[in-house]
Amino acid sequence: MKKIPVILDGDPGHDDAIAWVMAAALDVLDIKALTTVAGNQTLDKTTLNAQKLASLVGLDVPIAKGREVPLLGNLVTAPNFHGESGLDGPPLPKPKREIESVSATELMANILENSNEPIAIIATGPTTNVASLLLSHPELKEKIRCISFMGGGLRGGNWSSAAEFNVIVDPEALDIVLKSGIPIYMSGLDVTEKALCYPQEIEKIRAIGNPVSDVVAGWLDFFMKHLTSLGWKGATLHDPCAVLAIAKPELFEFKELYVEVELKGRYTRGATIPDYYGLNNKAPNVKAAVNIDREAFIDLLITTCKFYSEKEVKV
Amino acid sequence: MARKPIWIDTDSGIDDAIALLVAFQLESIDIKGISSVSGNVELSKTFKNNRNIAYLAGNEHIKVYAGADRPLNNDQNLAANIHGENGLGDVEIKNSPVEIETEKAWDKLYEVAKASKGELEIVAVGPLTNIATAIAKYPDIEAYIKRILIMGGAIEGGNKTPAAEFNIYADPHAAEIVFKSNIPKVMFGLDVTLKSVLKVKELKKLREKESSVSKFFFEATDRIMKIYNTLGFVDSICLHDVCPVLYLEYPEIFSGECAGVYVETEGEITMGKTVCDLRSDFKFDKRDTLVMLDVDSTKFLKTIERLLLKY
Repeated sequence: MKKIPVILDGDPGHDDAIAWVMAAALDVLDIKALTTVAGNQTLDKTTLNAQKLASLVGLDVPIAKGREVPLLGNLVTAPNFHGESGLDGPPLPKPKREIESVSATELMANILENSNEPIAIIATGPTTNVASLLLSHPELKEKIRCISFMGGGLRGGNWSSAAEFNVIVDPEALDIVLKSGIPIYMSGLDVTEKALCYPQEIEKIRAIGNPVSDVVAGWLDFFMKHLTSLGWKGATLHDPCAVLAIAKPELFEFKELYVEVELKGRYTRGATIPDYYGLNNKAPNVKAAVNIDREAFIDLLITTCKFYSEKEVKV
Repeated sequence: MARKPIWIDTDSGIDDAIALLVAFQLESIDIKGISSVSGNVELSKTFKNNRNIAYLAGNEHIKVYAGADRPLNNDQNLAANIHGENGLGDVEIKNSPVEIETEKAWDKLYEVAKASKGELEIVAVGPLTNIATAIAKYPDIEAYIKRILIMGGAIEGGNKTPAAEFNIYADPHAAEIVFKSNIPKVMFGLDVTLKSVLKVKELKKLREKESSVSKFFFEATDRIMKIYNTLGFVDSICLHDVCPVLYLEYPEIFSGECAGVYVETEGEITMGKTVCDLRSDFKFDKRDTLVMLDVDSTKFLKTIERLLLKY
């Protein structure tokens, strides 16, 4: 099987963490690096979480720190969902791998430059680093196979009525990404709020009983606390969708659409606006995931967690 | 039982005209006045159309007033491409001989609202310029209005831009004044009106009737049907503006949920978007809009036909 080389860029974060746990167990992905961004928590915290995660799943790849703040706006974090550390809940192993001396953007650029095949970028936080890369290295666009991001919503938001968290943190960054001309997969709330993991499924994960599945179940317990207070019946596994849109596209239903980001607006800053009726006469710029085979997704989550029992054959 | 006092504000408009024809046949309402606003076509035409439709329906005793001839802040956006140059699909109907009312729409609305002692309901199916002007001039009017039924907006998508529906886009600032007001609101946005489809072929009895109203109905809808056909609606049209009118007497045809709704007036690509918190974790503090989401389209069609057959 031909592997897809990927860079994982995110702000872990419980659902980022689960996305990376799944990614590291998928045979189809060849993870080249982890890069971090501020979002769910401040950059120092998301970076420390990335290091611990790498230790947890045994991923020995370069880790680089991204921007501390969005391109233009003020940083917003989400401690209500992710706790003070950004990844509260079960204890994690200590970091093994040191942080690279170069920035996330430089690391991404180096990897792209030295690669003889195009590389996919999976962005599960605000797209600040990806936009910085596109701005500073336009010559490397051809080396980017595609960008798969979790963010936005065709039908509205969660952090504000109109905007989803990752996009409202850095709308200017996503605007740059969407206008880049690079193939883009969008996993917005339309699909990610359908990627639910119910309590009885958390128990199935806990029952696997390896160090990684124990932690995943613990994260889900923590994540469910705040979600339950909002009325959710399951954990919304937003970020794994961005990984799987590339790794397991058969799990999804996609719509090809022209999508733009609102940068202004009293209520709508960060809203991702799809042009369903072609009123703008623009060619589609994203493949937006709009539906997911939820049960197959949960099966895959469980199978990837089981991989860590033996760590022999990837999923 | 006493009839409910109703005020209709409209920019006729083909579906607006049909909404008026339906409203005149409702037994539970007492139409206290009709105000005209610039929207689908210019005020001079919507005023004339409202007068002439009332006359066509034999309801010329219901007074028609003129309101705003332009939006509060924005440039004017018309929809003559859909509704024809005269606003009624370029179908000519007889001129009403009734004397022209010179009182301004918002002044008369305020007078009627006050006299109705909190019972007046407004049905607004055009841009909300007249209603916003009434609120601006008479801040106490909010307390006199039981609720306002609005055709406009969408919780998802738009028809004028990808984010905005025509009536709200035409005067987003007026709409924001209305949505910010404390008047309880019922919103019939594209979410429900695009499902309120009328298969014109199925209206056989109405076609056989050959009344002046049915003749007008088929001539005027023929024009918009061609447009709807290009949008993928087969032999059918959406009667956006009829929804809130029908709701007055047949609320069971529609269903919705309460939410907070505001209107974007500063966005670059979202100007005129009705921002609704229904499906978001974030909720606005003020949630006083009943957002309509679904319609029983069979009952919708049957009820409209039955009402129009009364002519």
